[in-house]
Amino acid sequence: MGSYALHRTGAAIATLAAASVIIFFFIHLIPGDPIHVLLGDTATPDQVDALRAKLGLDQPIILQYFRWLANVARGDFGTSIFFQMPVLKVIGDGAETSILLATITMIWITIIGVPVGVIAAMRHGSWLDQGLSGVAMLFASIPTFWVGLYLILIFAAWLGWLPSSGYPSIFEQGGLANLRYLLLPSLALAAPNAALILRLTRASMLDVAREDYIRTARAKGIRPMRVILRHILRNALLAVVSAFGFTFAALISEAVVTETVFALPGIGQLVVQSILRRDYPVIQGIILVTVVLYLAVNLLVDLSYRLLDPRVELQ
Amino acid sequence: MIKQFLRCVIVVATLVSASSQSMAAGMLRYATIGEPPSLDVQMSTATIVATIGQHMFETLYAFDSKYVPQPLLVTGEKVEDGGKKLVLTLRQDVKFHNGQAMTADDVVASLKRWGEFGARGSLLMKNATSVTASGKNEVTIVLSEPNGAWKNLLAYPEGGPAIYPAAIVSAAGNKPLEPKDYIGTGPFKFGEWRPNRYVELTKFDGYVPLKTAGDGYAGARTASFDTIRFVPVPDVGTRVSGVQAGDYEYAEFISGDLYDSLKSNAAINVHRNGAPLFGLFFMNSQSGILKDNFALRRAISAALKEEQALSVSFGPKALWEADGAIYPKGNPWHTQDGVKNYNVGDAAKAKQMAKDAGYTGQPIRLLVSTNYQAHFDQATVFTKQLADAGINVQMMVVDWATLLKLRGQGDQWDIFVTHHGFVPDPLLLTFMNDSYAGWWKTPEKAKLMAAFTGTADPEARIKIWAELQALVYEQVPAIKVGNAYSYDIAAKKLKGMGESTVLWPHFWNANY
Repeated sequence: MGSYALHRTGAAIATLAAASVIIFFFIHLIPGDPIHVLLGDTATPDQVDALRAKLGLDQPIILQYFRWLANVARGDFGTSIFFQMPVLKVIGDGAETSILLATITMIWITIIGVPVGVIAAMRHGSWLDQGLSGVAMLFASIPTFWVGLYLILIFAAWLGWLPSSGYPSIFEQGGLANLRYLLLPSLALAAPNAALILRLTRASMLDVAREDYIRTARAKGIRPMRVILRHILRNALLAVVSAFGFTFAALISEAVVTETVFALPGIGQLVVQSILRRDYPVIQGIILVTVVLYLAVNLLVDLSYRLLDPRVELQ
Repeated sequence: MIKQFLRCVIVVATLVSASSQSMAAGMLRYATIGEPPSLDVQMSTATIVATIGQHMFETLYAFDSKYVPQPLLVTGEKVEDGGKKLVLTLRQDVKFHNGQAMTADDVVASLKRWGEFGARGSLLMKNATSVTASGKNEVTIVLSEPNGAWKNLLAYPEGGPAIYPAAIVSAAGNKPLEPKDYIGTGPFKFGEWRPNRYVELTKFDGYVPLKTAGDGYAGARTASFDTIRFVPVPDVGTRVSGVQAGDYEYAEFISGDLYDSLKSNAAINVHRNGAPLFGLFFMNSQSGILKDNFALRRAISAALKEEQALSVSFGPKALWEADGAIYPKGNPWHTQDGVKNYNVGDAAKAKQMAKDAGYTGQPIRLLVSTNYQAHFDQATVFTKQLADAGINVQMMVVDWATLLKLRGQGDQWDIFVTHHGFVPDPLLLTFMNDSYAGWWKTPEKAKLMAAFTGTADPEARIKIWAELQALVYEQVPAIKVGNAYSYDIAAKKLKGMGESTVLWPHFWNANY
């Protein structure tokens, strides 16, 4: 187990190094530069050149890369060209929103997707199964922004129960009560993902239920509920947990539409805006952090297989 | 059981909603379309920078509701030597947010930095031979030639000469100010900037308002709100729902398709912008097929039916007008002189004109961005209209940052699309600037410009402007699409906003 973890960590670091090269050079290949965005419509060529020199963007690209890499190795991700603030502070601000949003969404997905998937599998072929599968298909097909806008309209504009948009930090006035700002966006984000987890749980459960050892367990007279929970669900969860890993990482970096609709200061929106502004240090920082996150989540998922199924050998 | 649960949810939601309302007392929350690049108003011409920045930073003069510049940080001026010497007397009761009194040294340092690095500074200061503190509260500007627009230029805050403390402005040089240096003289001071969350301004208790009544941006400025929060809310539907839900008191740039329904909504006030924006299709005067070919440009103009593009891009008729005059009706600069070939849409005539101009179907590259939907819509409509006239336009669709970069390279495009905000003096129009992309620079323009800036007589300037407008239609450095009136919405409880904004909404003299 120890050597396996070491091996996987080494591979992750190599991936990270390769990613850093791709991130840096691809971002700088995009036409346009932040100076024009910063100085606006009427900047003269002299003003543009002067500011470019001041920000070090006139240096050879290779030199800029190694300077960035050396700083990152020391934990300095640079300063945001647009916000004039340390990149880690800008990313940290967005990360709080994204991590909390993803966590609450995962809770919705887990408490809706898995149990309903189990119920659908238990009643396989019945009207209940078909009804639940139909609803899941519906939610998987409806665009998130549409669900989001209707949630805002109903719960914020009409009923006035929940805030329409924005998210003040839980570390600000209001404390944990500020999590109410994330209820509607997490529901919107959970809808399609819970539907997919539901379908995945159902399908995995049905696959496992056809295995010989399940028939054996039933033949031995084990109580049906125990067979389902102990033998079918536990084995079916292997596939579901893999999906959870990817879903969580994706929720952090890809919740752009939901963040836009609910005006959430998350990582997804930050990366899109930073690309439009050509705020290179922020884009590089976010992508690097995201790569690390993906690698870490996948590593954890791999390691968790062993816990769920002792037969899985880690090599 | 279910009823009990629902009752609990309603009670909690009501409490939560009540706490949200009470937190907002004394606070105005403004939903913006995006975030400012910085709040250094001298350096940026972005509308959002001026909208937020004008609450913190002030200029020596300010426009009243009729767009006439009135003293703000000065008490008055003397114009000597035929307009070449401007002696400005400063108010003595003005304090910066750091507690320091504003002196002539601060004004001199600010004007010098604006002249050297400011977005619009060169328009006035390129001919300044000296800017000096001729007394503790007196500043003298000496120009090599008179500039009839000097007061308008000193009053216009967007990319304008905001007054900062000398120490800050001297240290900043050509780099935009950092948030810690956002020290101005306005009725609100800088509070906090949380990336992607908000920019917060707080009331400046040391502000001494003028004695004259508030009128437009001029006169007394009184801050009622303790805090103003500018919150980026990129989705227009969310901005509207947010005002309806009571999460914001003001929201900007609402889409045209919602205008009629919001206008009839009793819980919301609609504020149409008093000053129109107008789309501009710039011709490349530096290189390519359109260089010096004024006849071909006029052919392009004749092919366009601007009202179709306006209708597609802005919706209800109340939000646009197909007017070729550069300035809108009712403004002192408005004139129909020289306006021709506007909103014609005559494909046959345009085809003949293009043929006469020597055009044989070569591709014309039209550079347009998708960041502004209106630009893209207008470019699409015009491309179709030009195709009908046999003019072969190829759209180059890029994002805004790329467009800003590419348009600086004259060999990359023939026409590019942008828009222009209302400016209170024609000298501030981008196509009047020889070095602005498009690079319109002809002897005829130079001659009229010399006459235009060389006199301070308002009537003479208006007359020369009419000739300049006629030259615009003769040489077609850019094609105006038409006037578009953006609109904002506000919660009913917000008072003191007036029927429409002067240039951008301001929240001094406003209250609940």
